[in-house]
Amino acid sequence: MKVTTHHRLGALALASCLTLSGCMSSGSGSEGEAGDGPITIGISLPLTGDFSEPGKGVQRGYEAWADYVNDNGGLLGRDVELTILDDQSNADRVASDYEKLINQDGVDLVFGPFSTRLVVPAAQVAKDYGFLFVEPAGAAEEVFTQGFDNLFYAAPAVADDHYNYLADAIEALPEAERPKTAAYAAMDDPFAMGTAYGLKTRLEAMGVETVVDEVYPPNTTDFGSIAAKIADSRADVVVGGTQYQDAVNMIVSLRQLGYQPKMAAFSTAPTNPEFPEAIGDETEGILSPTGYTPEADYPTNPEFVEYYTEAHGTAPGEDEANAWTTGQVVAAAVEAVGCADPDPECQGQLIDWLRENEVDTVVGPLSWDAEGRPEGAHLIQQYVDGEIRIVLPEEAKEADLILEKPTW
Amino acid sequence: MSLFFQSLVLGVLLGGLYALLAAGLTLYFGVMRVVMIAHSAFLILAAYLAWFFTTETGLDPLLSLVVTVPLFFVTGVLMQRLLISRLRPATLTMMSVLLTFSVALVIEGMLGFVFSGTQRRIRLPYSGDSIDLFGANIAVVKLIAFALAAVSLGALFLILKKTQFGQALRATIQHPDAARLIGINTDRIAGYGFGLGLSTAAIGGTALALDSTIYPSLHWHWIGPLMAIIVVGGLGSIPGAAIAAMLLGLGQSLLQIPLGTTWAQTLFYVALFATLMVRPQGFFGGRLAQRF
Amino acid sequence: MRSVSRAVGLLVLAVAVLAFPSLAPDPFILSVGVVIMSYAVLATSWNFVGGFTGYISLGHASYSGLGAYATALLVIHTSLNPWVAMLLGGLVVAALAVPIGIASLRVRGASFVIVSIAMVLILLLVFQSWGEFTGGSNGLRVPRPFDESVLRPEQHERFFYLHAALLAVALLAWWAIDRSRFGTGLKAIREDEDKAQSLGVPTFNYKLTAFVISAFFTALGGGLYALWFGFLDPIFQFSILVGSYMVLMSLLGGIRSLFGPLLGAVIVGYAVEFFKNQYGDTQFHLVAMGLLLGLVVLFMPDGIIPALSSLLNRFRPQAASIREVSAGDLAEQRRTASAATSTDDESTDRLSEGAQR
Repeated sequence: MKVTTHHRLGALALASCLTLSGCMSSGSGSEGEAGDGPITIGISLPLTGDFSEPGKGVQRGYEAWADYVNDNGGLLGRDVELTILDDQSNADRVASDYEKLINQDGVDLVFGPFSTRLVVPAAQVAKDYGFLFVEPAGAAEEVFTQGFDNLFYAAPAVADDHYNYLADAIEALPEAERPKTAAYAAMDDPFAMGTAYGLKTRLEAMGVETVVDEVYPPNTTDFGSIAAKIADSRADVVVGGTQYQDAVNMIVSLRQLGYQPKMAAFSTAPTNPEFPEAIGDETEGILSPTGYTPEADYPTNPEFVEYYTEAHGTAPGEDEANAWTTGQVVAAAVEAVGCADPDPECQGQLIDWLRENEVDTVVGPLSWDAEGRPEGAHLIQQYVDGEIRIVLPEEAKEADLILEKPTW
Repeated sequence: MSLFFQSLVLGVLLGGLYALLAAGLTLYFGVMRVVMIAHSAFLILAAYLAWFFTTETGLDPLLSLVVTVPLFFVTGVLMQRLLISRLRPATLTMMSVLLTFSVALVIEGMLGFVFSGTQRRIRLPYSGDSIDLFGANIAVVKLIAFALAAVSLGALFLILKKTQFGQALRATIQHPDAARLIGINTDRIAGYGFGLGLSTAAIGGTALALDSTIYPSLHWHWIGPLMAIIVVGGLGSIPGAAIAAMLLGLGQSLLQIPLGTTWAQTLFYVALFATLMVRPQGFFGGRLAQRF
Repeated sequence: MRSVSRAVGLLVLAVAVLAFPSLAPDPFILSVGVVIMSYAVLATSWNFVGGFTGYISLGHASYSGLGAYATALLVIHTSLNPWVAMLLGGLVVAALAVPIGIASLRVRGASFVIVSIAMVLILLLVFQSWGEFTGGSNGLRVPRPFDESVLRPEQHERFFYLHAALLAVALLAWWAIDRSRFGTGLKAIREDEDKAQSLGVPTFNYKLTAFVISAFFTALGGGLYALWFGFLDPIFQFSILVGSYMVLMSLLGGIRSLFGPLLGAVIVGYAVEFFKNQYGDTQFHLVAMGLLLGLVVLFMPDGIIPALSSLLNRFRPQAASIREVSAGDLAEQRRTASAATSTDDESTDRLSEGAQR
């Protein structure tokens, strides 16, 4: 009995070795033929699992961009072809996906995945193979302090700077009219915390006292106790470092407790089209930073909005815009350098070009510092008369900033 | 002071829901010696069904109970008869953990498959409403959830204490051999016990859906505290589970004031370890728990 | 004759493992190989407690995660040699496993499982929240043990062999215990803890020792993986799914066999890649894993190796002496025989009572 077991195991191990190598390498073939065929671009996105909702938005943006490029003569005269894998919202998978895209599918370029938590492991793989890594969603400060010299964030500002215009506006108020106290509640997520703490740093510097500072785990669904703390503090300003549903839950809980702040700012959620649906009529005055608005008149934006709306029936959101921007940034480098292949020399040239130059995108002109941080700021939006409008900065505003938030 | 009182009220409301769910979880253990990992997955399933019901029909999610409670009862009976009873008695406790774990994975996967990973929330016209009680605000939805839990727990208690089925069930929990000797069909009773346990998940899920966001992997968030509760309460003891649930729910809510959300959650696990170190059979459990 | 065949079998296995990196057509396949090897290390480590004592831990991700963080933090803060740090990390985790084991092994079965799951959840909370120390939700970059000149494919190759070496050590330890008096005692616990105790087996100490050894090897596996992967995030380190993969692999291969977990790791590791290729954009991989686990538990609780062996044995002359049948097999035979003959519920139930008490 034992005899056969050992024999069979050996044979089985050998056989599985072979089939493993054999079966899984079947998809390769496009390797090494630079020049004629389409330019292949490899992407891994969270299409299932916890980050799947924004992941799908990014996917729509990438696909729209590729279609648009192909409708308009391609890149360097070649069509672009996307290979999108699903990383199941898992860090191990995202690294293995880029490993596969680069080594087995032989892609010419890679685009970044979604969510800060997945960007770092993915960027590591890209860096090890010398690939340029432009990403649509890794805004947290930590992404830029890891020593990635191949990484560029394709959005106007890093998380900590999202509220800069709002902080400027508050600072511009006469001392007496400024809020006195502020309450912060942020999801334990590098991006969400980054936004809230960026504003916290600015407000504290102005002398706004922090009365509540709560961090909650990403899986929190009951906000009763957090809301109780905030309500009890009667803070003038409430700042939520939120993703989506946590903002909805928190606002509902705050309303259940009858808390009425003078100013309420939440990241990400309010820009979501489903937000007013979930909150109802009580959105008036809620503030939110955004990196994108379909109304912006940056050179390429109207075209993007038109093209996207035609294909999907709705205007693009921030995730779609960031994906499109990623495409634009890489395309600009490719056109300027004149190459798009996995060769480290070509990738190196692309990286060098982006370091030195500014790119016009649908979110405005972008340029980067040495670590890949974009050097812009986010717009501030607010619900005014039931619609989300840009209120800051002055020169881009569509409506006036409401300083005293109506009751919710 | 008002924050303390507010948290106290929130803690009681939370504890009520925990109590109902823990009662179900400990019931399975009582009748079958089964640690039912899929309990919270069924809870989320029920929440999804309530959400689906409301978005499709526009009716109040509470009405979905008319469908989900019988459905879950039947599912529970079938699960016990078709799956759990097939396991070898010698390794039942261990293997049932794995079997119910796999059921939980299938439910989570199917929920993601059918409803996608998007977080869902039922929109209710009264979701932001609250009533004032001595300076504390009590959300109407939380009150409904609590009332639902309290009524179900009361009903469960009455079924166990006052009906013939309840007597048979308790006999099966306490001494299966003796129960069989006096003519109780313990297999059938165990199946009904399982169905009863799963019905609590149906009610709990609907209550949960009233005031919370739901997503497929949410059940991991619930199973940990619930399992801690049934160990602290004494495995198999329904009153023990209810008391432990209330105390720990209250404790969590109050600890959030000084410690914050994350550390307050560790209370359940600290209580779990303390119980196993000091009194492994649980604080309110009978002699049954000693053996496991 | 028997030892020759065994030597040949082992040799083929060793050659297959050693040759894999040169057979792999590209670095991606090689990286999949590293992941499968890591699975094999973890599953084999899990099997020290699962296989010998029959106590099923769903939360072994606690120890792989702790091992990974211990290694990473030691490397970052003390600038120790990474391999020393890994070993030290394993020892730290083994020390931590002592009180955890005491708490969860004092009572039988159910509480052990509950504690194992609770450990994963509590560690997830702690490592997320204690940001200054663990990097929290920002994650933790682990410095590479090899310098920049070692390119990524080369790294994969080295780590493949390192994992294989660790696996060999774990297998050797399992084999040694299997043949020892200690191992016999453990298996007695698995078959009937009450009888073992009454026969004078110090059941608690034995269980605890097996548990600590298991945690030690699991932590080493976690540490080695951390050095390879280079990035730790609590939600992926302390995940119940990781722990349940270890259980599935061991159970599928066969928890009583030395090579069961390894075989299970190869099958599951391959299946994971396959399912992802076929049903990539859906949650189907969870359903598939759930169904597979359910099927194994219901129909093949002893795993593939015993199932195949008994199938094969039916077709060959019965050369096996009585010694080839372990006490466990005999007990199981008795059990199935008695379950089959007794149609009334009482006797089966008495068995269950006996086993649980």
